[in-house]
Parts: sequence; structure tokens; C-alpha cells
Amino acid sequence: MQHFVNQIVEALKERSDLSGWTVRHIQTRGAQVYAVPQGIESQRAVDNERYIIDVLRSTSTTDGSPAVGSGDASLLPGDDIGRAIDQATLVAGLVANPVYGLPGLAAFPEVPLCDESLQKDASTVMWEVMERVRTAAAKQPDVRLTAAECFGEVRNMHLVNSRGIDAWQESTQIDIEFVLHSRKGDRESETFDELSRRRVVDLDLEAVIEDGARYTLDSLEAEAPASWQGPVVLRKSALTKFLAGGSLNGSVIQNLASASSKYASLSQWEVGKSVFRGEVKGDPLTIWANRVMPFGAASDRFDAEGLPAQRVELIRENVLVTFAASQRYAEYLKIPPTGAFGNIELPPGSTPASTLLAEPYIEIVQFSWFNPDPITGDFATEIRFGYLVENGIRKPFKGGQLLGNYMDALADVHWSEETGFFGSYFGPHTARFNELKIAGQE
Amino acid sequence: MTDMKLPLAMAELRPALGEILGQGLERAPYFSVLLSSRHGLTIRVDNREERVTERAPSAGTVLSAFDGGTNFERALGGFNLGEIQSAARDLVSGISFQKYTPQPESERRGDFVTLVQVDPLKLSIQEKLDRCRELHHRAKGRDPRIVNVQVIYNELNEHSVFADSSADLAQRVQRVNMFLVVVVAGEGGDVRYDYRAKSGSAGWEVLAWSDEDIQHTVDGALALLSAERIEPGEYRVITTPGVSGTICHESFGHGVETDMFLKERARAAHFIDKTVGSPLVNIADDPSQPGSYGSYFFDDEGHMAAPTQIVEDGVFRRGITDRYSAAALEIPRSANGRRQDYSRKAYARMSNTFFGPGTSTLEDMIAQVDHGIFLDKWSSGMEDPQGWGIQVTCHYGHEIKGGRITDRLFAPIGISGYVPDVLQSITAVSNVLEMDGGTCGKGHKEAVPVASGGPHLLLTARLG
Repeated sequence: MQHFVNQIVEALKERSDLSGWTVRHIQTRGAQVYAVPQGIESQRAVDNERYIIDVLRSTSTTDGSPAVGSGDASLLPGDDIGRAIDQATLVAGLVANPVYGLPGLAAFPEVPLCDESLQKDASTVMWEVMERVRTAAAKQPDVRLTAAECFGEVRNMHLVNSRGIDAWQESTQIDIEFVLHSRKGDRESETFDELSRRRVVDLDLEAVIEDGARYTLDSLEAEAPASWQGPVVLRKSALTKFLAGGSLNGSVIQNLASASSKYASLSQWEVGKSVFRGEVKGDPLTIWANRVMPFGAASDRFDAEGLPAQRVELIRENVLVTFAASQRYAEYLKIPPTGAFGNIELPPGSTPASTLLAEPYIEIVQFSWFNPDPITGDFATEIRFGYLVENGIRKPFKGGQLLGNYMDALADVHWSEETGFFGSYFGPHTARFNELKIAGQE
Repeated sequence: MTDMKLPLAMAELRPALGEILGQGLERAPYFSVLLSSRHGLTIRVDNREERVTERAPSAGTVLSAFDGGTNFERALGGFNLGEIQSAARDLVSGISFQKYTPQPESERRGDFVTLVQVDPLKLSIQEKLDRCRELHHRAKGRDPRIVNVQVIYNELNEHSVFADSSADLAQRVQRVNMFLVVVVAGEGGDVRYDYRAKSGSAGWEVLAWSDEDIQHTVDGALALLSAERIEPGEYRVITTPGVSGTICHESFGHGVETDMFLKERARAAHFIDKTVGSPLVNIADDPSQPGSYGSYFFDDEGHMAAPTQIVEDGVFRRGITDRYSAAALEIPRSANGRRQDYSRKAYARMSNTFFGPGTSTLEDMIAQVDHGIFLDKWSSGMEDPQGWGIQVTCHYGHEIKGGRITDRLFAPIGISGYVPDVLQSITAVSNVLEMDGGTCGKGHKEAVPVASGGPHLLLTARLG
């Protein structure tokens, strides 16, 4: 439907009442396979195609100062182009925000984003992935796979804007979730895990399922924890949830380091100043927002505005270097635009992971949902499963609440020198928070 | 005359659904067609900027073929007759269906529309924007410590047409919500915020803000500047209807979605007709509740909306179903087969889930607490149907001392514990029923609009 994009572009070019516009043509095709203990519950093939128009229109404030308004509209193939542009233009004329523009033409990096096999045949690939999940789970003694969902999607985006950008990108995305269940007498336990990757080859399913099986069996023996104050260790997927957030929420870092939060007075961070409110007792914190990470779950060549992907140093040794900024908020704050946040990257720490596991400590394997307040960073989050490790014994527990403040926790943490790639996070695979509190049974 | 306002392409396609059904039923034991369109509008006004944006729309067709074992689906964007006919042919011709006789269903026919007094689709965007600006104006200057006030208006317009061999249904469901967020900064630069929301399957008539509503939100944000962290432990607690609803939603809402029974993920499956809470506990899910945010007339699998009594006088009676789990478990269906949109499958999902009201007054309940916590406002929750653990996070709560609520504030507060223990500990239930609108995920995805609520509850729980 390249023809339809051209029609939209030509129609927009004729509009003298617009100061800028962007058109995105987004096509997705995918396959979904769902399993229950009895077999395959559902298989689905899903297609989608739409066009999104964003327009800017010069307006003025009540005192006559120059301003700008924005509007948008979506179209399905064959929809009325003129009507959609009229609607977006009408909306843009209603608001008067400080003036900003659209990104100009730039070089877009080549970022590997695709799984070639998925591009060719998403349905077959997702059936194969489901079979891998079922086979790997079947090898685990005393554990059953009770649910699994495997989604694969190929996504194409063509972006054209009034400042000369005319760019394409194609990406693939695989989302897997599964549940392992075990029973011993009248006790039952389960573990839930989820993975998002660009490529099948990056799905370490067998290892993840082996870990999940062990946690499921250990969970049968788990009791509520005693209260604890001291070292807490997060590894791999739990650490990724802590740093990168999840599908329901972004991370605290992502929120406080965003230019839109700064502009809305929600973030008190200042460029050139420490991001911490007190003394830093642990390793210094350095963070990149990285959209060029090969096969990163949040990587791209360009974002929805057309800003090229880059690796942005946000925090260097505890000091804020810049905010992650869209074109709009970059102009408002007079800082360089960086585009969407992307993946989170940390440098390797200086301590071997084995040293970070000095006993005693608590390891949290799974949170119910780690969802700190995005502005204050305070959290009180239930622990789904973890271990108290002391005297060479790993004692499983479930329940209890991890209490604290996100930034205070990051001010007293040591990172492993060993790193790993976890979809939307690349960096140390183990972190030891030196002084966290768990509210357990008295 | 019912003002469906069906999108034109959907309206034009509807007469052809019989023919498409016929194609599917030539080979599939059960076949259905769902046309689904969801679009809407978001308006944001704050101290520094305004935005009017379209909510990411979805519009597409779901063809479903079911043989009692597997549900085969083809989901296509848009409503192109030729593409849908071709997809229906391809879907059923490529499958070797097992023999299956679907449960007979009564004839269901009709067009249904949410009753609204002030129809959002009849107000211009300018009028809606001006109403948001007016609320913002009323809130922003109330205290010098306010650094931002955000007004966020969301409008969701859902149209569905469903057809199978015994159904020809259409509905227009209109949902609105509005948030007022007040952000304040203390002397040390600490930022705190409070918020209040109004919502419903309704029109603008439910979005009226009194001065008391606004001032209460401002006062809440300012009070949070001096909030403390609570000493972890077991407390006597009074929950507001919003917090009660979140407890209900995460425990005997998610915990009784019968697809989770099928996946052996729900402990409730072993508790049918057994006691799970105090005799004061009654829990229901009701998509037909007029005006509540999670309401609809029929679910995404064509089952007519009706209430389901989940817990009756402390005894667990039944769960809520989608078509697949009801068939596999051989239990009666309820109208809870819902999709995030056409691109996702239907699961057993909640609609409006709530504790039934009791007979106590709030004043009497507070007077019963010598030392405890009044949990004012929830911020999030997460389910654990297998472990029956509970995670509900509250934005803040007040101290209760000597039978009175004090000014001492704690934030945030997490509620944790074992669901039956929490429900068994309920000793008083107030005589009100209030619902909060929100969005519910299945695990970490599959967002659908829901409401949850109830009365005030007096219970014992671990807080941290």
C-alpha cells in the first residue's frame, strides 16, 4: 500500500495551514500459539495495517505570542484521507503550546532487529518455539507445564515527514510466557516466567525452564520469611525487572531521566548534579539509554518521531549528564534530542559475582510485581519467591514485602563484573543491595 | 431508535455476516464472527502544555472456529468483505476438525447502546477541552506549593458486532474517565502527588467535580509531604471502597477466572462450595451493572451480560468463564469472555467486581478500632491465584487511634497476606457500594476496562 502513503503525503503537502507533519505506515503480521495441559488451546494468525498522521499547526496564545498545536488521526487502508487530515488539523488548532518542530533528516544507523526465520514464516517458527517449551518442560522431573503462550510478530514501519525524512525499518518480536506447576501431597506451587526477544536464538528457553523447574520444586518447601534488614541480591530476570521495569510500567530511571517529566516538574533531577539525595555508599552509577543495542527488545533505527537511534549516556558516576528527550521536550529544555528511551545499559561492575554472594543474604527470584512509585521511587512490593542463603544452605521462602526507596537502594549497591543480555537490559547480571528491608513474619 | 453510531465499514459488512457464517459452518462444528472497533480520545491539560490525542485505535475482524479441543482464529485488520470471505475459507479449509457438538444456546438478537445523558460524541472537542481547562483552572492556584496540576480525560468508544448460528448482536459501549493529579514540592525539593478519578460507562454527567473534590486532592498531596513509612506489622484496618475493590479484584476476581482452573493455576478450583471468608463476605461480578466502567451488554464471545455470584455469605460458589474454559470444564458460561482488542484471544476476564454491602456505618466501624490504619487510596495490585498471596499497594493511609482518624499519614503502604486469612478476618462491612474504574491486565498484558469496588471493610492485615 505504498500508493496510499503517497496519497496521504501529497494531500498533506497541499495543506498550507500546517507547519509540519509526519506519516507512519505500520504493518504487522504475527502468529500466536496457546497451550494448556490438555493440548493446544488456541492458534491465531493476526494481521494489522494502519496509517498514523501527526500534524503541527501554528497557533497563538491568548496574548498573541506564537504557539503550536498538534493533532493526530489514524486510517485503515482505503479510509478517507481528507477527512482524517481535517480532523487532525482541527484538533491542532485548538491548543497553543510553546513552539517546537519536527526532527530533520539524519543518518539512521543500521541496527539489527530481525529474526530471518520469523520474517519468512512466523507461524511455523512459533509452533517450533512452543514445541521447544513443551519438550524442555517435559524433561524436568516432578514439574508440569500448565500454560504457555508464544507470540511472534513481524513489524514494518515507513515514516515520512515534512522535513525530508523518508525511512523504513523492519523488526521482529517474540514474546513467550509459561507456567510450571508442581504438587507434593496437598501442597502446590507454580512459577511464571516471561521473555521478550527479537530473535529465537536469543531465547535461552532450556536454561530458563531448568531454573524455573528448580524454583517450582523449591517453592513447595517455602514458608513465609522472617523480617530481614541487610544484603539483598537480584540476578538476571529479577534484576532486569528492577532496572528496566516491565510491560505494565517503565522504570523509575526512565521516568526521572525523561525530559517530559522534568518539564512537568515531576523530576527534580538537574544536569550536572548527583541523582542521589544522600551519600553514595556503593558502586558509582553509570547508565546509558541505548537504542542501538543489537537485537535489543527496545532497539530501533528511528523512533516514532523519526529521531535516529543512539546510545545516550544519561548518568556518569552518579551525575546526570542529560535527559532522554523527544524533539518537543529537547526544544523546551534546550538540550539535544535523544529520542525514545530504548534499552537500559550499565557498565560491568568491579566485583566477581561469586564475591557478591557472600553469605548471609536474601536472593529475590520473583516479585509479584515490582512497581515502585514512578516519581518518589518508594516501594512496598510483595515477594513471590526467594531464598535466604546462610551457612551454605539456600532456604526457600515466599511472601513478605520488600520495602525501601528505589534511588536509595541504587546508592548502596555493588554490581558484578560479569554481564549479560536480558532483552531490554544489558549489564551486570548480579547486583547486591547492601541494606534493604524485608517485612516478614514477626 | 437505537443510536448505534456503528462505523460505516462495520455497518456495511454486518448484513454479509450470515454468508460468512455459512462458509465457516460448512466445515467447523462451531463458527463465529466478531467485528470490533475501539477508538477514543485523550485530553491532557497541565500547567505548561495541552494535548489532544487520539487513543490508539483498533478495528478488525475475528473469525473463530472451535471443535471442542482447539479454538482456531484468524484476526484481520479492518472490515473488507472480500478479505474476510477469503480468510474464512482459508481458516476452515486448512484444518481437520474433530467431531464436536456445541452446547445449544438460546437465540440472542438485538442492538444495545450505553445510556448517556451528556453524550461525548455530541460534544465538540473544543467543548471537552474547555471543560478540562476549567477544572485545571479551579485547581492550580490553591496552594503555592503546587508545581503542577494535570487534568487527564479519556474517552473510549467501543463498537462490536457478533454473529454465530444463534446470535446477531451489536453494541455501542461508551466509557469515560477523568483524573485530577496535583503535584506539590516541599522545601527540600521532594515531589509528592495525589490524584482523584471519576469514571463510568456513561457520558460527561459522571465527570462533575465539586470544590470539595478538588480541595481534597490538593490537601492529600500536601499531606504527603510529611508522610511517614509505616512500621511493618499486623494491623486492624478499615479499607475504603476503592481499596476493598482492589482486594476483591486481586483475590476472588483473578483467582476465579476459570481459564486459570483449566491451567491448574487457581487454588479456588479446590474450594467450590467451601468457606473462604467470613459470613459477611459476598462477592459478585456483574457486566450488566448500569453505569459502571467495566459494563457491557454481551461479551466478546456473544454471551449476554448478567451477574455472577462468586462468593455467597463466605462460601465460594462459582467462577467466571470464557467459552473455551466453560466447555473444557463442563460448567455453565458467564459473560466474561473478553479480548483486549481484535488482535488478541478471549480469556475469562472480570467486568465489574465487588464486595456486596453490609449493614454497618463507617462511623461505627472507625469507633471499633483502638489502634489501626484507615487505608484511603489504592494505587496498584497483583494477583496470585495459585498461591493466594495478596499484593495491594496503597498510595497512603491514615492512623486510627482511639476510634478516630488522626492526621498522621503513612505512604506508600503495601498489604500482604494469605487471601482466606484476610477475608476471614472481616468483622464489619459498611452499608455503601462504590465502584472505581480502571484497567486490568491478565498477568502483565491483555488490558481491558474494568471496575471494582464495594463497601468499607474492617479487617486484619499485614502492612508494610
